[in-house]
Amino acid sequence: MSSGGLYEALAGAGHGAVGCSPKDLVWQSGKLELYRYRPIARPAGQAPLLIVYALINRPYMLDLQPDRSLIRGLLSAGLDVYLIDWGYPDGADRFTSLADYIDGYLAGCVSHILQAHGLAALNVLGVCQGGVLSLCYTALNARQVRNLITMVTPVDFQTPADLLSKWVRKIDLQSWLGEGNVSGDVLNQIFLALMPFRLTQQKYVQLLTAEPDRARLENFMRVERWIFDSPDQAGCAFRQFVQWCYQENRLVQNRMQIAGRKVELHAIAQPVLNLIGTRDHLVPPAASAALRGQLGGADYTALEFDLGHIGMYISARAQREVPRAIATWLAAR
Amino acid sequence: MADELWRQWQALAASWMAPNPASPTAHEWPGAPGLAALAEGAERFKAAAQSFIDGAAGGSAAVAGQAAERFGEFLREQFGGTPPPWGAGPGPAGSGTVPPGSGFDGPALGATREYQLRWQRMSEAWRRIDGAQRHLQRLWSDALREAAAAFTAQWLGQPVPGQPVQMPGPTAPPELYDAWIDCAEAAYARMAHGEAFCSAQAEFVNASGQWRQELQALIEQSAKLLDLPTRSEINTLSRRLKSVEEHLRAAAPAVQRAPGAAQRTRAESAQNTTHAKRRGAPRSRRRAKP
Repeated sequence: MSSGGLYEALAGAGHGAVGCSPKDLVWQSGKLELYRYRPIARPAGQAPLLIVYALINRPYMLDLQPDRSLIRGLLSAGLDVYLIDWGYPDGADRFTSLADYIDGYLAGCVSHILQAHGLAALNVLGVCQGGVLSLCYTALNARQVRNLITMVTPVDFQTPADLLSKWVRKIDLQSWLGEGNVSGDVLNQIFLALMPFRLTQQKYVQLLTAEPDRARLENFMRVERWIFDSPDQAGCAFRQFVQWCYQENRLVQNRMQIAGRKVELHAIAQPVLNLIGTRDHLVPPAASAALRGQLGGADYTALEFDLGHIGMYISARAQREVPRAIATWLAAR
Repeated sequence: MADELWRQWQALAASWMAPNPASPTAHEWPGAPGLAALAEGAERFKAAAQSFIDGAAGGSAAVAGQAAERFGEFLREQFGGTPPPWGAGPGPAGSGTVPPGSGFDGPALGATREYQLRWQRMSEAWRRIDGAQRHLQRLWSDALREAAAAFTAQWLGQPVPGQPVQMPGPTAPPELYDAWIDCAEAAYARMAHGEAFCSAQAEFVNASGQWRQELQALIEQSAKLLDLPTRSEINTLSRRLKSVEEHLRAAAPAVQRAPGAAQRTRAESAQNTTHAKRRGAPRSRRRAKP
């Protein structure tokens, strides 16, 4: 029996479209693009929700396909959703700093949305590393953020289960990176090395031996595409993030500075919802849960989901529970 | 197409779930090298696991122990090539090779002194890379040995001398495979969280970085002889440009507060809107520098 057909099916599925919900480009700056999603339900009357994704990996994971889309779930709840796409940095972006991302690009997005809606404040959903950027932005620009949601966001970068943190603490970043960008391929290798047997072998064996369902195969290939669609990282911002957060753990100690301004988490007095994956191997639950007690406001809610890092975006359970949790929480505020 | 796909999945699954000489084998995956390697590995695992099961179940503790030892050795060999972080570990070039520049270890003298020193630094970095790789390989091998021991112990239970060995769990190869992955990940995690691994990994990365930087400097020196631009020069220009941008950004609020700024902004805004309409772009779309 020829196996060429199966191989072709796998290869063909690799070209499956990602990013399924209609959206419009509303603002650009450099390689950054700000999108606004078209509504699919009656407006809930909330302030716009700006999703700040991580610089690492691409944001279409949040809108992978119709039945696996956090964004679609939020739109169904009547929310007005904006999404930042940071783009693919190249060699010309190597001196782009965290201050550029936070004070420049992120501030530009917020400013555009507030002007477009004639509002003084919006809601922010920070995802993974984007949650760190969102925390910094909110602490520095408290009046512009009405409610803050953090999702699988590290706050304490030196919890015992944090393998990435242990690996980088003794690394000389200047030797490792010089002044250059960090290749997305290198980052992929590091992430695979967190669980090499599962991520480089078992998942493919399971693919080959599972039920031959075309939809399942296409789902797999979309996630596979996302995992390895890794932008290079602007060298300066990456070095600052690794040094300040992973090596020196400044965020949770209120020692982080962005363009000379101190980031103090207790300056965040607005309501905060913290979404945590209890089986997250990239951002250990304790790393996220450390946000409790750090904030200046009393309205803090932490919701734990029995999910891993990627499962928080695309698992069936996440589709049922995460958008609803966000919408319900926002509606009460 | 769907039926054909289904049959192919079934055939592949059958080759995995039970012995079937007629099912496709690894060499029947032309043009799919990644899948071929996986299928081949899966077949090897299946054969070794079956041998382990046949050898261990119902035999004496001694026979079961020998079967477990053989299977453990197989697992270590089979999975020894899995790449650890940053490409360090078994396989990469450099391990056991003579470091480049090793003939430049004497005192650096004369007109080429700086070149000699650079080669010495590269040679030293290379030695450090090699040492770190060897250390990582030892740790990796230890982790695989620990995983294999844990795996066979888990599946053999506690053999009683003189009594036939009872396999305590399911004995199908796929279940054995999943159990092996669990054991391997657990052993790997213990190693990867350990001080020895983190230190060796950092040494590997730091030494590799030093070697790369020296190599870059060497290449840039050659580029200068040919009057070619170098990355260092481009970096200098990029920093200057960024500095200008930062000054502009810092000055922007003062410019906006200046007399007449509001009128200019309104005029520019009207002009942008007109252009956007002409292009047919969404009205709210803007392009700006941060």
